[in-house]
Amino acid sequence: MPKAVKGVLVECDPSIKAIILKIDQDKHDYIVEDLDDQTLVIKESQLNRLKARLEEV
Amino acid sequence: MASKRKASTSSKSSRPAKRSASGAATPQSIGSSDEYSAEGSEASESEAENLSRAVKTFSSDSLKNRRKEQSHTLDREAKLNGISNLSYLSLKPDHENRPLWVDAKKARITLEHFSPLANQAQDFLTTIAEPLSRPEFLHEYALTVHSLYAAVSVGLVPQDIINFLDRLSKTPLPEEIRSFILECTQAFGKVKLVLKHNRYYLETPDNKVLQKLLQDEVISAQTTGETAGIITEKAPKMGGLVIPGTKDAAGVRQQPGVQDSDQPSTDKQDGTAKEDNIYMTLREDDDDDEDDETHIHSVEIPKDGVEPVQKRCLELGYPVLEEYDFHNDQVNANLDIDLKPNTTIRTYQEKSLSKMFSNGRARSGIIVLPCGAGKTLVGITAACTIRKGIVILCTSSMSVVQWRNEFLKWSNINPNDIAIFTSDHKEKFSRNTGIIVSTYSMVTQTRSRSYDAQKMMDFMQSREWGLMVLDEVHVVPASIFRKVTHSIATHSKLGLTATLLREDDKITDLNFLIGPKLYEANWMELADQGHIAKVQCAEVWCPMTTEFYQEYLRETSRKRALLYIMNPRKFQACQFLIDYHEKRGDKVIVFSDNVFALKAYALKLKKFYIYGGTPQTERLRVLENFQHSELVNTIFLSKIGDTSLDLPEATCLIQISSHYGSRRQEAQRLGRILRAKRRNDEGFNAFFYSLVSKDTQEMYYSSKRQAFLVDQGYAFKVITHLQGIENLPGLAYASPAERRELLQEVMLQNETSADVEKVDDDLFSARSGGTRGKSSGMAKKGAKRTAGMLSDLSGGQDMAYIEYNKSRNKELKGKHNPLFKKMAKEQQRRKQQRLEL
Repeated sequence: MPKAVKGVLVECDPSIKAIILKIDQDKHDYIVEDLDDQTLVIKESQLNRLKARLEEV
Repeated sequence: MASKRKASTSSKSSRPAKRSASGAATPQSIGSSDEYSAEGSEASESEAENLSRAVKTFSSDSLKNRRKEQSHTLDREAKLNGISNLSYLSLKPDHENRPLWVDAKKARITLEHFSPLANQAQDFLTTIAEPLSRPEFLHEYALTVHSLYAAVSVGLVPQDIINFLDRLSKTPLPEEIRSFILECTQAFGKVKLVLKHNRYYLETPDNKVLQKLLQDEVISAQTTGETAGIITEKAPKMGGLVIPGTKDAAGVRQQPGVQDSDQPSTDKQDGTAKEDNIYMTLREDDDDDEDDETHIHSVEIPKDGVEPVQKRCLELGYPVLEEYDFHNDQVNANLDIDLKPNTTIRTYQEKSLSKMFSNGRARSGIIVLPCGAGKTLVGITAACTIRKGIVILCTSSMSVVQWRNEFLKWSNINPNDIAIFTSDHKEKFSRNTGIIVSTYSMVTQTRSRSYDAQKMMDFMQSREWGLMVLDEVHVVPASIFRKVTHSIATHSKLGLTATLLREDDKITDLNFLIGPKLYEANWMELADQGHIAKVQCAEVWCPMTTEFYQEYLRETSRKRALLYIMNPRKFQACQFLIDYHEKRGDKVIVFSDNVFALKAYALKLKKFYIYGGTPQTERLRVLENFQHSELVNTIFLSKIGDTSLDLPEATCLIQISSHYGSRRQEAQRLGRILRAKRRNDEGFNAFFYSLVSKDTQEMYYSSKRQAFLVDQGYAFKVITHLQGIENLPGLAYASPAERRELLQEVMLQNETSADVEKVDDDLFSARSGGTRGKSSGMAKKGAKRTAGMLSDLSGGQDMAYIEYNKSRNKELKGKHNPLFKKMAKEQQRRKQQRLEL
């Protein structure tokens, strides 16, 4: 059975993407799919938390 | 409310606004430099409009009690943002015509450079205040104790200063400023430090002041038993003193050549007219003062106590003045030296010297002129004016030779009278007075010296000198070099530098180590007059590739620096810029602090490079080729090329890595291209690029480094994208595979590869004045071990002993080395020259 997960498409600079990947590394909690150099799909629930983390940096 | 805030912050925001305006610009290629200045002026024009509009609406109510109710909130805001809110000051009705804003709390004056009165105001302000920041439209000056002293010593009366400021300022002059000026100028000249018969005396015409100073613990601890003695002296005047090579001298000597220097100065007629008026009042006032008889009280201070006493007097509010009355100095022998007749002094050099010799005596102080503007000539002219024994201190033995050559070139001094004191040469001048040129390290050496060096030092310390010229004086506050100021007894000291900056706070120590800043030239003005080249400064943002950036984020050690320097996009940008400029016929120098990066770049882009480890002959060869050959148009230099005197002229400078936030380094590097000979061609521009990796710490350091240059008036353009970079044939690291390889190589590097190069010698010579052996490359020759039986070792078997006299062996080997041959030849030649003379 295919499983559908709601996600948010994020388009960004390669450098920001690298930062997001780094944030994700600890718990693999944010990223659903890594599309290419400039786009990611992240879990919707994590959107706000990710924004907060990016603000810190 | 919003517009009101803008009115007060606009003066401060002009500087950051410059950067953001350019950053928001759409990607532009290098060629379109005109766009930016238009944009900048638009921005400030709209600011000026806003200002005047805001001011008009509020000027009528300013007399009400707004101050009280709003001061609380606004002051708090101001303290938070570090800006001062001047909106409580009432504006004069015709404020639009007046160019100055005066801030009482911080004693800052902001000058609107686009106002019609700007030129006169600027001349006046440079006399009474220190320039802080001089970009295109708004200049900022600070009123400090030292600048006011400088003003008074030139002869400005405090009331005149206040009147002038009041006239030019948009608001009535605040009370605090008035009292500040009066206070400072009254304490001027109260205390003087005089050198007599090789001993230091603290002099003052006012007995009360001396008593007050003696009551202070620090000072009384320093003074020796001698009580005050009363000597009667008259106040000094400028009188018949003529600085050689200036306009006055032209009148005295009636030389047709010198009068040409009058032409450029007549452009600014208004400014000079104002200055002349000021000098007129000076002469009248001096006549009045002379008639009073003044008693001078003095107390002796031992040599070591001079620095703490000066510091303490400054703190007490009586800064010590060091003036040398060289005209009436009969004790020291006169040096026969004069400028050559064809030497002409430029206006700014003349101005700086007139500040030094303003009242007939020589004042100690510092003169700041941009690189390549002729500081050496200023030092030589000062020497020719004083005409007593002179000591000149430089940073390296190469500069020592350069100074000597310049002396011989510009003045008619007898070559026997000028002597060099470095580790290679220890001569003395033949007659009873002369000039000694040496390095800081030679003079401040604490360890034991060779016999000759010791004799030389004793000779230098035993007699009085008239003038000490300190080249690159910004190194003096370093704890090692401070001693130089009082280990040798000189009547006056002149410090010369282009960058009066240090990243620690010791630069203020120079005020009492040497003296106040006498003159600081306006870089933009000099560039307009054609004395230094016009420079287009740009910052190129190179994005990091994803792999490099990921590693950068993960890394925490010093290796991060290596990662952002070795960014492949940077390679590409560098390659593109080099290609572009070579095609235009420019000579390009690429600077890098990091040796690993330097080698990697140079080898990849197939260019020549010089760093600390390059042998001497190779360096000379590369430099010669760079200067004269058509084939070599680009060289890569490490930190070693930062402060040499005679670097070949380049017209384009690219910086790929730098030493954290050092402003001085950035300015010194820029100085390399300021002397470009082609600067007088129409529309010529030199280029200075700083390559920065986006989103890394380099961006932060870069903005700090530019602070000094921005203050001098250079605006840094930001280039986010180089047009046509993809089309460049043979682009380095174009494929991801190559990049990954580079990344691997970088990751394998040791941490020490990320360090900045340790440079002890300079571009042309090895070790100047050091006693330790050559550092790079030569490992210490340890003991040799061989195993063997006793019968072997005692000669029983085939082993035989031969005595090696190592030094002679080296000599033998050395004779074949072309470098030693050259050195031997030169020494022979010099000996012959000396014998001939």
